[in-house]
Amino acid sequence: MTSHDDISPDDMHWLSRKLLWVEKPGAGKRVLIVLLAICAVLALADFAYHKHAYFHIEEIPFIYAVYGFVSYATVIFLAKGLRLIIRRPEDYYAQDSTEVEDERPAGSDPSTLIPGSLSDRANRPGGISGGGSAHE
Amino acid sequence: MNEVLLPPLIYGLGAISIPFLPAGKLRQALMLAVPVLAFALIGNLPYGDYAVFNAAGLHIGLLRIDALSWIFALIFSIAAFISLLYAWHVDDRVQQVTTLLYAGSAIGAVFAADLVSLFVFWEGTAIASVFLIWARRTEGSYRTGMRYLVIQVFSGVLLLAGTVLMYRDTGSVAFNAMTLGSTATWCIFIAFGVKCAFPLLHNWLQDSYPAATITGTVTLSAFTTKLAVYALARGFPGTELLIYIGAVMTLFPVFFAAIENNLRRVLAYSLNNQLGFMVVGIGIGTPLALNGTVAHAFCHILYKALLFMSMGAVMYRTGTSKASELGGLYKSMPFTMVFCIIGAMSISAFPLFSGFVSKSLILSASADNGYFFIWLALITASVGVLEHSGIKIPYFTFFAHDNGWRVKEAPVHMLLAMGIAAAFCVGIGVFPGLLYQYLPYKMEAYVPYTTTHVVTQLQLLIFAGLAFALLIRYRLYPAEIRAVNLDTDWIYRRMLPIIVGFFAAMIGTIWKAAGQLTQYYVTSLIRGIYATHGPHGPLARTWPSGSMVLWVAVILGMTVLLTYV
Amino acid sequence: MIDLITKNLPALQVVIPLMAAPICAIFNRGRLAWTIAFIVAIVSFAISAALLSQTLDGGVISYHLGGWAPPIGIEYRVDVLNAFVLLIVSGIAVVTLPYAVKSVAQEIPQEKQGFFYTALLLCLTGLLGVTITGDAFNVFVFLEISSLSTYALVATGAERNRRALTAAYNYLIMGTVGATFFVIGLGLLYMATGTLNMVDLAHQITLRGDSRMLHMGFAFVLVGIGLKLAMFPLHLWLPNAYTFAPSAVSVFISATSTKVAVYVLLRFMFGIFGFDYAYQQSTLQYVLLPLALLAMFAASLVAVFQTDLKRMLAYSSIAQVGYMLLGTAFMTQTGVMATVIHLFNHAVTKATLFMVAGAFVYSVGSSKISDLKGLGRAMPWTSAAFVVGGLSLIGIPLTVGFVSKWYLVQAALELGWWPIAAAIVLSSLIAVAYVWRIVETLYLHSPSPDSKAKEAPLAMIIPMWVLAAATVYFGTHAALTSAAASRAASTLISASNIIWQ
Repeated sequence: MTSHDDISPDDMHWLSRKLLWVEKPGAGKRVLIVLLAICAVLALADFAYHKHAYFHIEEIPFIYAVYGFVSYATVIFLAKGLRLIIRRPEDYYAQDSTEVEDERPAGSDPSTLIPGSLSDRANRPGGISGGGSAHE
Repeated sequence: MNEVLLPPLIYGLGAISIPFLPAGKLRQALMLAVPVLAFALIGNLPYGDYAVFNAAGLHIGLLRIDALSWIFALIFSIAAFISLLYAWHVDDRVQQVTTLLYAGSAIGAVFAADLVSLFVFWEGTAIASVFLIWARRTEGSYRTGMRYLVIQVFSGVLLLAGTVLMYRDTGSVAFNAMTLGSTATWCIFIAFGVKCAFPLLHNWLQDSYPAATITGTVTLSAFTTKLAVYALARGFPGTELLIYIGAVMTLFPVFFAAIENNLRRVLAYSLNNQLGFMVVGIGIGTPLALNGTVAHAFCHILYKALLFMSMGAVMYRTGTSKASELGGLYKSMPFTMVFCIIGAMSISAFPLFSGFVSKSLILSASADNGYFFIWLALITASVGVLEHSGIKIPYFTFFAHDNGWRVKEAPVHMLLAMGIAAAFCVGIGVFPGLLYQYLPYKMEAYVPYTTTHVVTQLQLLIFAGLAFALLIRYRLYPAEIRAVNLDTDWIYRRMLPIIVGFFAAMIGTIWKAAGQLTQYYVTSLIRGIYATHGPHGPLARTWPSGSMVLWVAVILGMTVLLTYV
Repeated sequence: MIDLITKNLPALQVVIPLMAAPICAIFNRGRLAWTIAFIVAIVSFAISAALLSQTLDGGVISYHLGGWAPPIGIEYRVDVLNAFVLLIVSGIAVVTLPYAVKSVAQEIPQEKQGFFYTALLLCLTGLLGVTITGDAFNVFVFLEISSLSTYALVATGAERNRRALTAAYNYLIMGTVGATFFVIGLGLLYMATGTLNMVDLAHQITLRGDSRMLHMGFAFVLVGIGLKLAMFPLHLWLPNAYTFAPSAVSVFISATSTKVAVYVLLRFMFGIFGFDYAYQQSTLQYVLLPLALLAMFAASLVAVFQTDLKRMLAYSSIAQVGYMLLGTAFMTQTGVMATVIHLFNHAVTKATLFMVAGAFVYSVGSSKISDLKGLGRAMPWTSAAFVVGGLSLIGIPLTVGFVSKWYLVQAALELGWWPIAAAIVLSSLIAVAYVWRIVETLYLHSPSPDSKAKEAPLAMIIPMWVLAAATVYFGTHAALTSAAASRAASTLISASNIIWQ
């Protein structure tokens, strides 16, 4: 069953064990380096083949790379701007929606839920992360 | 009925038998058999119209098998099978019955050769599917379901109105390609548009899908909107307006999805965005584009179901689907994670995954026909898809901050269902010919895996991924926050009630005053009537004979008076 | 022999009950008198049925009494209209008599029963005579025969309630006033035309043209008949008479006497004066129509507040007479047809309901609404018959009441008088109120604990249900009655057309 205490790697599935490195210090940096390396290779690949373009703009070198990067960042920043306008407290629609309701009636397996444990906390409004940042 | 067993009939029979079967493996197995049997019975029939008859002067055709309806029936059957397998553990009869009825209606609608039977099945999907939302049995889901039902039934009513007008205009209710122009076609167009979640008509989707049950959402994601895509492809291919509608559809959900905390709602926005691609394909209307739409619908049903299933599995174990509460689940649910990533890579259209081979058709079609800005919009939207479905979903669920969840891996039947969907995603991605051979329209052989396609797509996606990594690194990525974000549904969920409330209060006051006034007058009237007509009133009293003579004189006088008039 | 009978059918129709009446009086034994009366009623019914079958195709039987030729001699003139009314009157008599056995045995002392049946037969004679005769003065004579016997019949209710005596006395005074006006009217008509035969009257009126004398005659006849048929507000005699009369009498006179008076009105208006008589048109429109509408509402409203079932039914009758007058006042074929068909339909409905009231009187000893609480259980058949009759009174489809109102509304709409059509429907809603009061009392109130009410005897239940079945049968098979009514209306109209051409 579940327990709040961390399980040892030995109890984990082999697939999970293989991925434990992502929690090691500096993992983020390593991922970034690898990613940059792949990006460099992909960018340089532009010179290695003849591009069958539909539009002239496609023939500009690195155009896809630049567009991918820029448009991604743009989407994120625009979305952040949008959030400033449209964000409301979770109980905004109150009992009119399922938002503040316990989500377990949707068909969660009750046997895996221990009263008073994380799952219980998780369903309190403003639970664990309480509006703060959820990522590292 | 031409000795053909209609698929909806088989689903219907299945649904009817459920209440009589004991809960358990027998019932579940029978349910699984239904989609297989229903498709097997008609899958090999030669193309043509079956179950054609005349009802009150209307030509009804219940089973039109051609390339387009065949492939939609196929994917709907696969989707029905997968979602039923995924729901193996559910023993809620309401959900089981309605799931079968819902899938049966959707398949029935696909085979409908006339607008009348289309309408019947159309409303059938609406009414059956709402129970998948209500099955949660909470106040919120009830109200959400009501909103969903109102909009879905409204779509059906519009379709009916369009059908009636169409019959008046042309004398026929055949369901074939139409051109926009008359009121009839506009009614039908908007009816399809509502179900297809056109921009501004889309809110029911994001509102209701996250409110359904875990298994219900998987089922919902497959049928309703894709039925609308089918209907549009059948009824309005090459309608230019659809190109622009579709382009807007691909773009706007991206922003909402990026800041949404409820991951199943993120997927609902993502669903909306994917529908946009299909709608663009229908709008372009060339064989390549239409094939693209069909292929994309086919792949989309599978990978979207896969994503909803993986989110559902997480929710099944943890009891929540909110990004702010999840994280680090790779430790507990590694298989689910793998399937989720396969779904994510498919929807992001990585080479070797199904999204790549279907989306390329639509992109090529838009470029071939010189729609530069449309094409650009689709490319941009592709980056958006990567953002919310490709990265956000798996990252915040399985990695990111470990919120301490230690749960079991998803149950076997869920893994099996996800595995089947994942196999399809990868299989089609690696062997696109498997799918291409069934595409309904004749086109030149299309090769998705050209160097240009693969390299440019990878550049686009990986550099977007790089942007994500950098934004996370420098803490610029919007945090997952427990909140709701307003969408246009605010108009009917908040603004209208306020306006209505105001008028209701005003009318209420007037009504009350009028009521009191009326009551006063009615009371006096009745009192007056009683005073005159009651047992002791002059009209009911026993009068002396003299008074009678007086009346006789009066009447006689009146009559005689008329002599002089 | 047979030939002799068939030739003299019109005379036999009147003569048989007339002759039987003194025989009843001579024997003066309840049971025997009843048997004679019952046989006479059946024979009368057979004769009127024969007459109707002979005239249904539009034929007219003209019978010269004593061989004297009209206009000097008295003529009995039978067409489909009065054959239809004859059938109603004799038919009601046939159904009422079996019902009367138990009811009369309880309400009338043994020694008076012979006279009771004598009076009843005289009343029948009068009503049949009024209907069958083609002579205006003869109408007056028979009208008085029927009225006088009715006064006597009402007065026999004194055994149960002494107020029957004042009711009968009032009725006598008022009825005599009406008869007097009627006979004055006849006198004026005679002065204007020099004849009393109806056909000849019509002929002479066309020949001599309009005159003030004629107007006066018309006005007096109208008021006189209006009183007899309880035209609002000349109805004051009716509630007490119906309420305090013995049950069997209430049944019989409520179903026949006002109907016959309405027939006389129709005959005088359209048979003698004709549709196109200008003075009549204005009278109908400005006097009769408003009074009819007033009756429909005022009398219905009074009925709502009544505390006695029989009295409530009496007021309802006044309202129903309003409908008949309304149909007449339309002066169209459909309007007259609606009136004629309502004659039949209301006779059947009201007879049913008064039989129900009589059954309550028999079992509970009272027709006060407060005494009827919870009788739905103790007297299921009687109560159910009330429901059937009540539904018909309201005008619910599948009952005869609906057929009447249907034609009435149609007649109003044909003329484009939709407010009047709306008024007809609206007044039916008031009927819902008073019928519901009784139904509620019967079924929804708990019976009083010391109530020992038992279901009425079969002799009452069977006639009651024969009539209740008739309300439904003729409500669902309206073709039978509406065909007769339609032909009767056409006969009147074509007759009046001939007059004026």
